[in-house]
Amino acid sequence: MIGPSRVAELDMPGAAVETAAGRPAQSYWNESWERLRHNPIGMAAGVLILIFAVIAILAPLFSAVLTHFQPQSIDLAATFRPPGSTHMLGTDELGRDTLTRLIWGGRVTLGIAFLTVGMALTVGTTFGMAAGYYGGWIDDVLMRFVDTVLAIPAIFLFILMSILIHPNAISLAAIIASVGWGNVARLVRGEVLSVKQRDFILATRSIGARDFRMMFRHLLPNVLPVLIVAASLGVGQIILIEAALDFLGLGIQPPTSSWGNMLTNAESYFYHSAWLVYFPGIMIFVTVLASNIFGNAIRDAFDPRLKT
Amino acid sequence: MSSRGPLEPAVKTLTRAWTSADPLLSITDLKVWFPVASGVLQRTVGHVHAVDGVDLEIKTGETLGLVGESGCGKSTLGRTAIRLITPTAGKIVFKGQDITNLRGSKLRELRRDVAMIFQDPYASLDPRQTVGDIVGEPIDVHGLAKGKARQDRIQELLRVVGLNPRFVDRYPHEFSGGQRQRIGIARALAVEPSFIVCDEPISALDVSIQAQIINLLERLQSKFNLTYLFIAHDLSVVKHISNRIAVMYLGKIMEMSPGTQLYKRPRHPYTGSLLSAIPIPDPVVEMRRERTIIQGDVASPVNPPSGCRFRTRCPRAKEHCAEEVPPLESFGDEHLAACFYPLD
Amino acid sequence: MTQPLLEVNDLHTVFKTKDGVVKAVDGVSFELNPGETLGIVGESGCGKSVTALSIMRLQRPGRIVGGSVVFKGHDLTKNTEEEMREVRGKEIAMIFQDPMTSLNPVYRTGWQVAEPLRLHHGWDAKRSMVSAINMLGRVGIPSAADRARDYPHQFSGGMRQRVMIAMGLTTTPAVLIADEPTTALDVTIQAQILDLLRHVNREFGTATMLITHNLGVVAGMCQRVIVMYAGRIVEAGPTTDVFAHPKHPYTWSLLRSIPRLDAERHEPLKPIEGLPPNLIDLPEGCAFHPRCSFRVERCSRDTPRLQPVGDTQRAACWVTQSGVELKGA
Repeated sequence: MIGPSRVAELDMPGAAVETAAGRPAQSYWNESWERLRHNPIGMAAGVLILIFAVIAILAPLFSAVLTHFQPQSIDLAATFRPPGSTHMLGTDELGRDTLTRLIWGGRVTLGIAFLTVGMALTVGTTFGMAAGYYGGWIDDVLMRFVDTVLAIPAIFLFILMSILIHPNAISLAAIIASVGWGNVARLVRGEVLSVKQRDFILATRSIGARDFRMMFRHLLPNVLPVLIVAASLGVGQIILIEAALDFLGLGIQPPTSSWGNMLTNAESYFYHSAWLVYFPGIMIFVTVLASNIFGNAIRDAFDPRLKT
Repeated sequence: MSSRGPLEPAVKTLTRAWTSADPLLSITDLKVWFPVASGVLQRTVGHVHAVDGVDLEIKTGETLGLVGESGCGKSTLGRTAIRLITPTAGKIVFKGQDITNLRGSKLRELRRDVAMIFQDPYASLDPRQTVGDIVGEPIDVHGLAKGKARQDRIQELLRVVGLNPRFVDRYPHEFSGGQRQRIGIARALAVEPSFIVCDEPISALDVSIQAQIINLLERLQSKFNLTYLFIAHDLSVVKHISNRIAVMYLGKIMEMSPGTQLYKRPRHPYTGSLLSAIPIPDPVVEMRRERTIIQGDVASPVNPPSGCRFRTRCPRAKEHCAEEVPPLESFGDEHLAACFYPLD
Repeated sequence: MTQPLLEVNDLHTVFKTKDGVVKAVDGVSFELNPGETLGIVGESGCGKSVTALSIMRLQRPGRIVGGSVVFKGHDLTKNTEEEMREVRGKEIAMIFQDPMTSLNPVYRTGWQVAEPLRLHHGWDAKRSMVSAINMLGRVGIPSAADRARDYPHQFSGGMRQRVMIAMGLTTTPAVLIADEPTTALDVTIQAQILDLLRHVNREFGTATMLITHNLGVVAGMCQRVIVMYAGRIVEAGPTTDVFAHPKHPYTWSLLRSIPRLDAERHEPLKPIEGLPPNLIDLPEGCAFHPRCSFRVERCSRDTPRLQPVGDTQRAACWVTQSGVELKGA
């Protein structure tokens, strides 16, 4: 039926696209990346987070090569040392090297942050996608469940869970995610509802595509930008939540260090060893700031006004 | 490339064998109502009578034009005709098979024989997919071809609609509106359908491009033996491309007739005022025209007027028009109109 | 001969984009006389809207980089923002395509229609409201006094457009610029609004600049017409002449490519080949020449200027300027 065609009988209006043929095909992701690259502050923030993450992953390396200390090594002869040549950022009340603990603590804090975001996004997206796509009673049931979860005061949940399960980094991440996924679900559902209205979804239905194809090949890629932005902002939020939990004694327990519990721990020593407070505080501040800046930069890069 | 010939039905027939002499699509008393929810508990307080009792037949190989203003239900009718929407009541028969309540795999089989072209060339293509993926998707969904055969087919489709096959890896936003519409047409042709619903395919395009697309659609129709339901609000375009035209208002058909007849001798007052309102690009003609400008706005499809829908704006309305719904009557020569006091 | 009300001379407006400079208005000159209806017709991207916005100095983020707009003796391009505020809404009013977004959804319509009176004439709330209600009635809104208390979302599209027209006319401006005022409306409502505009033009004597892509609308509404393409005027003249014997291949081809309601037989349409121009990368010479069936060698080298062709028309085309008649199969 569709056989060789007589080219002469067809018009071939390709003039504008002909001239664009020199450039490689510009996908939406390429274009967004270009836009991000032209945002120096945003890029710097992203790079900073990346650097912290790399350092955190390579903590044992840094311990061995840079600081020559372990995070738990106690040295009662060297307590409350100010920043110096041996202990670059000083020591705490048990003579443990602050820089080392900061690096290992970063592992814990950033690890929890990324893990929590990962879990919340996965669960939240599944719920939100199903609710938004199917609508009807499925939407009602799922969203009422989400509403219920969101109505539970987070603090009570944290206290309860912390008493029942003495949290390590992974279970803490799960606990925090269990409270946060509801918002992701709402966000994804809203985005799915909005993308669902667009003609290309109806067009894909009209060619007979099934539900899974619709959700994974069409809805998810179009919802992804929102998720990426939420993830980036989420990292900063989780760091603060973790620090708050540590402050309440519900989070990571010593001797494992996290930025939050280092900060809490240093509270009583502020008057004579203020650097014990400054360093973890600065790390938290800088990382949260970077995550916010990067999150906003990504949002601008994906700007739907520029989407065609 | 496909094992099916052009006229072999893709859907199995249950009654006597359908042939191309029979109507391709037969719609009987079709109603599509959408619930209106209101209040805290989202109770259904009423219905939008989008399509409210429509009978029509589309012959194999013809182009049936469907015109009407916003809210008349033409888009809903078009989408329901190919079962993108499930009707509230009535019957749809396609190639002899009742498709009114088709579901699941049988519905998917239908999708191999019907297709739709959309109005907005910007919204009807997934911005995250390449042109090749967009045009190839129907092929993938139905498993019609793989590998090299699939590539060849995609390239052929692009050529047929007048696009350079080199651009399979490009993204929609790199093309102009007219080119994107061609991509949409290529996608519609991918399954080798016999019936295509064109939902305002040129309204969003520049005037100088509209003619290109109209010509393309006509060429494709004769080349692939297609039947079109052509939905638009621009009667000039519809009259040009259609064999017969149906005029809709608030969910019902007011008049149906071959194009030239409709223009020369409209019977329904609504058709008359519609024709009178359309500007003609000729100042001499425009100056001479008698205008019947009807007042008021279109009534609400949630609460349509009793009897004849058009009576609230009709200069010829009498008491009887509020009491009874005028049936579609024949005025000879395939010309039908639903009016108790038609124009002469 | 009366003085023209508005004189646009060699106007240039540009937009800077990351891909280059877009010359949205590229040397446009025309006049608007008192009481007349002038049509500016062209497709998307031809510069017709930007021309209107430039007259009103609302062209941002574009910049006017050349030419003048003389209105009642003053060059509007040289006005300060203060001075322009005196002109906008008072002397020159503008109505837009989408009545949905042109009205503020949180204020009552009567209040919005009365706003220009409060702003420009300094009238108090009561007096301006009375005048607004009167105007709403004159543009054909039934029960105007009650309707003035309604919010925009309570009106249909056609009614909202009438409200916009009322808002534009409250200060009895000398010029009304209507930018695609009926494109978003149903055809029967379009007829009502065009009828209203005709009526307004007759009764108030307001000169109207009607911007549209619909040649039928121009044929029925405008005494004179300007055809724009790629930021330039390609043809200008009395409507009857331009439609009867167009002197520019673009106008000529465009008229032949539109299906006409009163066409006798089904003739295949004769589309204009090719794609709309890329404003960042215009071709050398005449912007239309790649799509033109009459082009000669000169067209790809020199940019034609708008010159008189025939008795009453002007066209920017080397071919017609040298006396060739536009004919085709």
